[in-house]
Amino acid sequence: MRKIAPLRINNIDELQKSNETLKRYIREKVNQLLSMMGTRPLDPAELDDSTLLDIDPIGIIADAFGQVLEHLEETNRKLINTKDQLQAVFETAGVCISIVDPDLRIISCNEKQRELLVSDLNEKEFVGRYCYEVYCGNDSPALYCPAIETIETGKPVFIREIKKKGRYFQIVTSPLKNRDGTLKGVVEVSIDVTEKKRAEEGMRQAEKLSAIGLLGAGVAHEINTPLGNILGYAKMLLKEQDLSDHHKEKLQVIVEQAKKGSEIIRGLLNFSRQSKPSLATISMNDMVNKVLLELSTQIERQGITTRKNLRPIPLVEADPLQIEQVLSNLVLNALHALARTPEGTIIVETQRTGAFVETRIVDNGPGISDTLLPLIFDPFFTTKPVGEGVGLGLSICSGIIRDHGGTIQAESDPRGKTVFSFLLPVRSP
Amino acid sequence: METIAIDIRGQICPACLLITLREINTHKTVLRDGKARLVIKTDHRDATRTIPSTVCAMGYDINVTGRKGYYEITIGYRK
Repeated sequence: MRKIAPLRINNIDELQKSNETLKRYIREKVNQLLSMMGTRPLDPAELDDSTLLDIDPIGIIADAFGQVLEHLEETNRKLINTKDQLQAVFETAGVCISIVDPDLRIISCNEKQRELLVSDLNEKEFVGRYCYEVYCGNDSPALYCPAIETIETGKPVFIREIKKKGRYFQIVTSPLKNRDGTLKGVVEVSIDVTEKKRAEEGMRQAEKLSAIGLLGAGVAHEINTPLGNILGYAKMLLKEQDLSDHHKEKLQVIVEQAKKGSEIIRGLLNFSRQSKPSLATISMNDMVNKVLLELSTQIERQGITTRKNLRPIPLVEADPLQIEQVLSNLVLNALHALARTPEGTIIVETQRTGAFVETRIVDNGPGISDTLLPLIFDPFFTTKPVGEGVGLGLSICSGIIRDHGGTIQAESDPRGKTVFSFLLPVRSP
Repeated sequence: METIAIDIRGQICPACLLITLREINTHKTVLRDGKARLVIKTDHRDATRTIPSTVCAMGYDINVTGRKGYYEITIGYRK
């Protein structure tokens, strides 16, 4: 910075000289300010020294800068307000929102996204990590990842249904662009449609069950009589004295097969004649204790460890016999699943979930594959060998729970954990 | 709304800009309250560039209209 010599005036010449220096300095500084404002410098021919001092350009520009600063301050305040409002909307939105960079590394996400798709990680731990690792639990992006398509095309992508961490989502990805139009990242908005999907599946299941029930009842009625005749006549023949061993053996096969057929018919009739529940007030904790006691011999014989985690829960209004049937069926299924599992364990838990009492049966068996899981409540679906199971147990359970106004579902990790859970409405006060 | 008219025809920059800024500073309160607007008449083409760029940074809205032989720059505060 150039220094101005202090004023030491000895004569007029010196005074004029000093005056010129100061005027030159003022013009230079004014020109510097005018240049900052994008305009041309002062022209001495247009603006003489006397007019320059009258106009007071430095004062004018200083006031103008004061207004620029005030405007900036106000704009900043508005921006902070808007940012706070947007942040509040972002955080409290009922949908999952996440922003990732073009390399699919997480920039930020909202509370709902953290709740449903980020487990046990705080913000410092997941920001900067790949979204497919944190949100999907995968080592690489999915084949049809919508975020990748948005990065490649620069256009929004809608996915009707995608499964992440056992839940179903509808996803829209939109490009986030810099002011120059280049891609800054991707905004991913996901709506959790798991409950809706389960409700739809329940409806489909109910319709399927109803149709099969009608068909089953008709078929069972028509087949039962001839089957009874076959069994009756076969038994009569078996009592004949002059039959050879060879013929007796063949007749025995007929009797056994006819009995097996009758069992299937009985199952079908049970299935189609599911009666309306006869309601009583019951404690699910007592029910769990009762069922585990009844099955204790079989549990011990198989060497299975059982654990109970029964929390204080309200009473439910349900048909005790039907609920016992459901619970027994689920525990027996777990026992069957653990037949070849060393150190097999069954955990039965109860807890209150909103207006429902939830009962969970957890086993550490081999699990159920993603392909089979959607089919397990279908009538006649079984993984047991032919002749060992009709495949109606879970369908009947599903029908019973539905008739009680509850829901039943299964989750399974094919690496070795299956959870069956059903909800029953809490008794009305 | 009151209109404060300033005629600076015959002036060239930087005087145009300085006079406009001086008028804005003088009438700051009424302009910011939205009670008045400033209408500048200028025949200096450069002023239609220098005035808007500076005045916009101060938070004002600008409208430049070409008239016969001059420009009319209208300045009001941006709410």
